[in-house]
Amino acid sequence: MNRMFRYLATLKIVWLLAFMVFVSLPLIQMTLISFVATLSHPDADVGSLTVRNYSEILIDPKLRAAFGNSIAYVLINICITVPVAIPAAYAFSRMSFLGDKHLFLAFIAFRITPPVVLTLPIFQLFSSLGIVNSVFGIALAHCLFNLPISIWILQGFISAIPKEMDETAFLDGYTHPRFIWQFLLPQIAPGIAVTAFFCFMFSWVEVVFARILTTTNGKPISMAINALFGFQTDIGLVMAVTVASMVPGAVLLFAMRSHLSRGFKIGQV
Amino acid sequence: MKDSNNAGWIFVLPAVLVLGLVGLIPLITVINYSFFEIFILDARFWVGSEWYNEVIGSDRFWASFGRSALFSALILTIQIPLGIAVALCIPRRQFWVGIALAVVALPLLVPWNMIPSLWLSLLNPETGILGRLFPMTGWPPDWKLSVPHTWAVIIAMDVWHWTSLVVILCYSALTTIPASYYQAAAIDGAGPWQVFLFIQLPKLYHVLLMAILLRFMDSFMIYTEAFPINAGGPGGATMFLAVDLGEEIKAFNYGPSAARSVLYFLIVLTVAWTFTKAQGKLDGGQAP
Repeated sequence: MNRMFRYLATLKIVWLLAFMVFVSLPLIQMTLISFVATLSHPDADVGSLTVRNYSEILIDPKLRAAFGNSIAYVLINICITVPVAIPAAYAFSRMSFLGDKHLFLAFIAFRITPPVVLTLPIFQLFSSLGIVNSVFGIALAHCLFNLPISIWILQGFISAIPKEMDETAFLDGYTHPRFIWQFLLPQIAPGIAVTAFFCFMFSWVEVVFARILTTTNGKPISMAINALFGFQTDIGLVMAVTVASMVPGAVLLFAMRSHLSRGFKIGQV
Repeated sequence: MKDSNNAGWIFVLPAVLVLGLVGLIPLITVINYSFFEIFILDARFWVGSEWYNEVIGSDRFWASFGRSALFSALILTIQIPLGIAVALCIPRRQFWVGIALAVVALPLLVPWNMIPSLWLSLLNPETGILGRLFPMTGWPPDWKLSVPHTWAVIIAMDVWHWTSLVVILCYSALTTIPASYYQAAAIDGAGPWQVFLFIQLPKLYHVLLMAILLRFMDSFMIYTEAFPINAGGPGGATMFLAVDLGEEIKAFNYGPSAARSVLYFLIVLTVAWTFTKAQGKLDGGQAP
């Protein structure tokens, strides 16, 4: 039996490494191209190794603005999503109220609604509200899928906290909002971090809303990359921008690794 | 047991308002449009269910529906077992966990519109890492003319992109299993397969349900990634439901695209309803 487990352990490592190689292949390809000059420039011939593509990102004001826009709308999105999701997650976790199951069903339905279904009316609605071509519009549109998923994740974290804690606090005369602020938030801090990370992850890379809501201004990174495609595409630059766009996420991912690996429970209503 | 307390509505109200604005109002607008013939938004007239009859009666809709269903089925049969398998292989030691999770999750951070470009450059016969291996493997350089090869590329791309999500979800559920369960299993002399079947798998049910829901719906309505690989070809063999809708919207066919959107939302609602039913059943079965 012991030998069997030892073989299995080796097999697991091989299998995991194989999967990691598969995952890395396109990324290695991307990184390789990003260091090659793919169009001829005065200071670099086609095919030569260069860091020109990366310095171009720092020089080009449009690309710099795109990074600013992406960071801005993701932060705004998190600032809307998390404070709105916490009380809702608390209610779904602790209270049973009229229509709670149906409401949860509606939330899930909105999470899995493909953005392309709602692009047209959202564009019209947002232009009448005057928030197209701004980071605020994208941030709000992305609540459509980030808010339900945040409620879901946070609800799992809150359900893991014993209910006795609420009851003791209420006996001591705490009100609901004060309880959430002083007791619940510190307890679910890792949950808030995981939630914010997932919001970042789904929002940073989304393109359907980002495309229709930024026709002239406020373009995020993905749309700035789209704008680079043309009659003569500098594919090296395209790949360099993509690599750079993944850096913030990779840093966050590494910082979050212990939270992600400690495990979070996704519960039920 | 949860308290019965209708004050819960006060807590969910902000979320309801936000989703009402970005979800419900646009949805009602679409439902409204779907019954009208619209040339410009100020001039419209009532056509009743004409657009619905047109979409449901068209072979094109059902062909796309079939392709999307097949695609989702293939994606789920690959990604869910693969995700579980990889999650089970992630080592227990903290240091390697971080590295493994970080590497595995990297594809989730690539902007969606760049994913087809990455795969096309990977398969480029002259410069791509895999493309240069084509002559050795018998993969045709003109794979874009072949239906099975185009499908294989799109499926490989989606597996690459999204299996990580399944891995993260499964891994997070696996870490909630107390070590004492494994010790008890070892004392009883349980083999790896029994440990998986009776200890690990039951812990995975809830996240697997969520993973299946997300992966089913997102692959059924795949839009951004599928089209650029081969422009829906060859011969429309990779035109999926959402791609059809995207084309209608680009052509400014307000009425028909709205009717399509409503039909798609009905599919979404059916799936969400099935999901909550399945979830309820799972909880019922687990209650002590």
